[in-house]
Amino acid sequence: MTSAADRKIVAFCCRECAYAAADASANARTPLPPTVRLVLLPCTGRVSPLHLLSALAEGADGVMVAGCLLGQCHYREGNFNAVDRVAFVQRLLKSVGVEPERCQMFTMSAGEPPKFVAAVREMDRAVGALPPLERSPRAAAQAMTVPASPAQTVGARGAA
Amino acid sequence: MPLTDRGRRILERVPGGVLHSTTGVGCEIVRHEELCVGCGKCATNCPSGASRRSETFDVNQLLDAPVGSRRGQLGGALRRLMKHAPDGAVEVPERVTVYRTIAYDDDKCLGCGTCARNCPVEAIDALPPKATS
Repeated sequence: MTSAADRKIVAFCCRECAYAAADASANARTPLPPTVRLVLLPCTGRVSPLHLLSALAEGADGVMVAGCLLGQCHYREGNFNAVDRVAFVQRLLKSVGVEPERCQMFTMSAGEPPKFVAAVREMDRAVGALPPLERSPRAAAQAMTVPASPAQTVGARGAA
Repeated sequence: MPLTDRGRRILERVPGGVLHSTTGVGCEIVRHEELCVGCGKCATNCPSGASRRSETFDVNQLLDAPVGSRRGQLGGALRRLMKHAPDGAVEVPERVTVYRTIAYDDDKCLGCGTCARNCPVEAIDALPPKATS
């Protein structure tokens, strides 16, 4: 359980839908949880697994990707790519013992500010219920040894 | 060039058993999975279908990748978060194309070295055939 003051959630928002919805919700003076930080993207198709994992590694407790409704992407298929990349990151996190709920994808249209607020609150609630995310310092992480995988032992360069 | 043991084994699999050239066939293919960037050029250029993009991704490939590379950056972020060593390979969603392990089937491989010539990061070595007779 993390307190709202310590918690950080990074929301990657698509310019066409989610960011517009966020804008409209702010104009309507709907309060957002203070934990969320919005990042504007032209399309959620720009999100790479590296963005999501780096955000988590550098201090975010949760990352959410908010894009257009499926089939309504301004760039046709960008949000489909994002859905799959988020799913991939969730599997990566799960395989190393981190809760996959820390990375989630939401979809909404530009005309649904309440849905955006609900998504952010849902994400905030889900992340708040999890134990704090532990990170090893950058230097220690580089030096950490990982048990060798079969693929690694076959391909040790210079051994041949 | 004399036919190698490997070349002879390959010859047994060729329909009709006739090879028109014995050069460039029978190389030992050594893959360095930790250097792979997942472009799939080895798979698209493979004439025999021995290399192909699989549906899974071995997470250790991220952790072993060179530090400066894109996979290495991803692996660095993962290292900071990980609670235990990865439990094997993960299923890859359809639209994620780069983070896939290349499945290499040694039994189908002709040893032509096309994959090594097409690899942009020199993650594949085609060692010249060792003639034994």
